[in-house]
Amino acid sequence: MSAALTWLAAENEKRSVKDRILYVALLIKATALALREVPELNGTWSDQEVRSVASDEINIGMAISLRGGGLVAPALPACDTLELGELMSRFSDLVKRARAGSLRSSEVTTGTITITNLGETGAQSVYGLIYPPQVALVGFGRISERPTAVEGMLTVRPVITAALTADHRVVDGHRGSVFLAAVDRLLQEPDKL
Amino acid sequence: MNEEEIREVLLRILGELAPEADMSQIKSDVRIRDQLDLDSMDFLNFLIAVDEELNVDIPEADYPRLATLNACVAYIKEKLATQV
Repeated sequence: MSAALTWLAAENEKRSVKDRILYVALLIKATALALREVPELNGTWSDQEVRSVASDEINIGMAISLRGGGLVAPALPACDTLELGELMSRFSDLVKRARAGSLRSSEVTTGTITITNLGETGAQSVYGLIYPPQVALVGFGRISERPTAVEGMLTVRPVITAALTADHRVVDGHRGSVFLAAVDRLLQEPDKL
Repeated sequence: MNEEEIREVLLRILGELAPEADMSQIKSDVRIRDQLDLDSMDFLNFLIAVDEELNVDIPEADYPRLATLNACVAYIKEKLATQV
């Protein structure tokens, strides 16, 4: 996450507090753009048709914990098309309304994939369960400093673990790893998100 | 604005973010985010409210200085004193 966090710090320095972007917005946008490359992960399973139905829109459901307990996962519609600032603004609004109990019913039923980001609670890795009828879920753990090799030299970098849970009727491990590699690649160029 | 007034404003803002919490039980020298289970979105909303109510825009580099209520009060008092 070095490139992403460095870029984000510089970007937020230019922004007033109400326009600042949290790193989760980068995770959402990278996931959304990666889904353009592996579209079979973005959709729902139809028991009637016994097949997956890919969605034209990328509506990422964000798992949001509620104060006092409980969880909802309302969707951010078409988030691959949103500029980061707009995505952050809509996500912030979604969280506020989720915690105030004022989500629209369409927002909790139109998700095409879900992200659960539990890094702030301290979880290193998150292997979530898919929300049916969706066919995939992405779990992000905490950003932690870890030893890593860069150009043959040992160094310490901020690293996040991204885990994909996917319906094997729809996608196999190869396509799943292509997706995760795309998320990684996209986060290395945050200015393009 | 004195320290007590700043503290009152901050406690009210925090109370709006964590309505189920009892603000009278907040420990001034313990991390606020841990006491109130505030995530990064809550913390950002806290900073936005501080900016709106106290006209103090806190740069990201200074976030670590706002860990406790006492630290927040001291920081904001310092910022307000340097404002023209």
